[in-house]
Amino acid sequence: MFDLFIDFSVTLTGFSTFRLQGTGMAAPYFETVQKIIGPATLDELLLQYQAIVATANGDAATLDNLLRNTIFNDPKFGPVTRNIIKLWFVGTWYQLPKDWWGAYGTGEQGDSFVVSPAAYTEGLLWPTVGVTPAGAKAPGYDSWVNAPVFS
Amino acid sequence: MPKYSHVCRCQSDHARFAEKIYDVVIVGSGVSGAIIAKELSSQGKSVLILEAGPENIYTMNGYNKYIETFYGNINKDNNAPYPFNANAQSPSSLDVDKLTPGVPDTKGYFVQLGTLPLESTYTRVLGGTTLHWQATCLRMLPEDFKMQTLFGQGRDWPYDYETLNPYYNIAERELGVAADVDDQRYFDITFDPNYVFPMERIPVSYLDKMVAKHVDGMTITLESGEARSLLVRSIPQARNGVPNPNYDGGKGYVPVGALGTNQEEMGERCQGNGNCVPICPVQAKYDARKTLYKALQTGNTEIISQAVAHKIDIDPDSQRVTRIHYKSYQDPALPEYTEGTVQGRVFVLAANPIENAKLMLASGLNSSSDMVGRNLMDHPYIHAWGLMPEISGTMRGPQGTSGIEEIRSGQFRSQHAGFRIDIHNEGWGWATGSPTTDLLDLVDNQQQYGTDLRNGLVNNVSRQLLLAFMVEQLPDPNNRITIDPSYTDQIGNYRPVITYSLSDYSLAGMAYGRKLSKEIFAQIGVEDHTYYDPSSFGYLIYNGQEMIARGGNHFSGTHIMGSSSADSVVDRNQRSWDHDNLYLVGSGSLPSIATSNTTLTLAAMCYMSIEQILRDLQTA
Repeated sequence: MFDLFIDFSVTLTGFSTFRLQGTGMAAPYFETVQKIIGPATLDELLLQYQAIVATANGDAATLDNLLRNTIFNDPKFGPVTRNIIKLWFVGTWYQLPKDWWGAYGTGEQGDSFVVSPAAYTEGLLWPTVGVTPAGAKAPGYDSWVNAPVFS
Repeated sequence: MPKYSHVCRCQSDHARFAEKIYDVVIVGSGVSGAIIAKELSSQGKSVLILEAGPENIYTMNGYNKYIETFYGNINKDNNAPYPFNANAQSPSSLDVDKLTPGVPDTKGYFVQLGTLPLESTYTRVLGGTTLHWQATCLRMLPEDFKMQTLFGQGRDWPYDYETLNPYYNIAERELGVAADVDDQRYFDITFDPNYVFPMERIPVSYLDKMVAKHVDGMTITLESGEARSLLVRSIPQARNGVPNPNYDGGKGYVPVGALGTNQEEMGERCQGNGNCVPICPVQAKYDARKTLYKALQTGNTEIISQAVAHKIDIDPDSQRVTRIHYKSYQDPALPEYTEGTVQGRVFVLAANPIENAKLMLASGLNSSSDMVGRNLMDHPYIHAWGLMPEISGTMRGPQGTSGIEEIRSGQFRSQHAGFRIDIHNEGWGWATGSPTTDLLDLVDNQQQYGTDLRNGLVNNVSRQLLLAFMVEQLPDPNNRITIDPSYTDQIGNYRPVITYSLSDYSLAGMAYGRKLSKEIFAQIGVEDHTYYDPSSFGYLIYNGQEMIARGGNHFSGTHIMGSSSADSVVDRNQRSWDHDNLYLVGSGSLPSIATSNTTLTLAAMCYMSIEQILRDLQTA
């Protein structure tokens, strides 16, 4: 399931497996999602993703259509999927909507939280917009004077 | 390395502290307290500092814990790196809400009575609020010292710019200011012949240059009819850059790097972390620990940390201060403490304008003018934000490298407040929570993912422009901090009760700022995205202009300086009119806040006070 989580994350973020693994956050994120929504729900979501990838059979438009119809717009999978995107980009797990928790959650809902200090600094938002995280990975003196380069 | 034997919070030492009569007892280890401690202890005086907050940050590990806390904190506010301390609380912007008239808002450290909530913060740790300041070091304008004479508004200072000029020079050395004299010579600001700043100016950002391309030379007409030609100008800042070889008559300057390290250099140049507020991860930004370190090295300074001063004793005959009482705690979470007292020949309150006034009021010392705690000022800010016509590389570099200064001066100040404009390299963050909010919008509302999401982020973030208008406020005795026995913390110390509002003078300046932002945006071709949410705590309408007032963290005026004991708390040397061995130092003494960030000026004022303290000690 972990490999499937990575594949799903590649689709969601637009970053390669190599880049995602390079953050060192893949396992902590997988475990975070699994712990909060439960392994069964996560497996169900990942298997749904696997199924639509198979159906799309390499056709990007079909995959996009299936993703939107059966995952993003699905009341159970949509909020979790959006949360996985946010995890990768800013390292924060956002509290799921109350309706979602009422229908599918178990135990204490918990608050929003940053997965770890490294989750913040490894956020993909920063390289996406051609910068380093505020307060980490110093780009160096004078680095701000020329036009940006995007990754 | 610092002499740790001089930093003590051991319970067993309280008896020793109580017996000794120090030359100078200082409350607070922020920039004012640190400068005074360093100068006096260098001259052989014995100095004791009482610091309410924790001190364990001389080592790289200690400082880095703050950075880790910041990374892991879901909120990235001004106090995000500094753990909550129930026994020496700091105000938090996260506690600020819209006020209901007549209902005190008590959920934060401040009790807010209104009419407007004061959003500003400070930090109670060793080194004080310089841990989270942005390090902007603008001098005040000569006209700022004569507000009443020139504009019929506010108060005059007991002295003029020329008097403070030599002390500005000393402060710029201690804080390590990087700037170009030619950039800073405007509106009659003068420098000594051949003066240069310790370091060359911090390079201006690509974003600044994109703005300057359109704005430099833009002509505007103020509402008073005065004309101005705008110029994007570099900001003087206490941030390490390239040393100026011509400094100090050719002796040069060595930047003060990170503390607690004996490895290779660190912190001797800004690294563009874009995180000056709330903490510089490489310590290239000045903070008062750098000065405290030098004070400790003299062997004449001792610091008791986790010691909250709560009462000043006065001799009823001489009206001189005899001792200060403090509560010493071991655990910031637990309401357990030991009482202690300290004695000195001179006492200096350097605990910031709110805590200084609180300590005076808690001791029944309202001053003969009844001005203690009154005239509370800040710099209200309004923001205007939009998207640049092309990619501008926003979110890189220190948070501010350029601004527009032309509306700081003019005859219009007899009618409305002046202001300065900061170009924020970090984009819309302060106003909207960007870039996280951009991500949330694209993901939650626009169902973006993958490459489209990445392109959307680049397009939304890298073109951001935020102009922040820092507006002056006049001293008003009704804006004040008071105390009330109903509001105390868990060890029985008062919480500040804040009564705050903005006068028409400031509001008119803010409204003009918003109007000017539209002219500037039109000139550049910026797509205006400014939105003032009516549910925001600072939402206002003035003369039909919507805006949101934000706090500037520049508390001032609560022990105002003046020429007479009848209407001020301290004299020109920041010495109490009523108690001649008591000094109240810092921005609480400012008779006008004008349009300069307060730290450089308050640091300069401390050097004036030091000369008088030395005279006092000689005659005592």
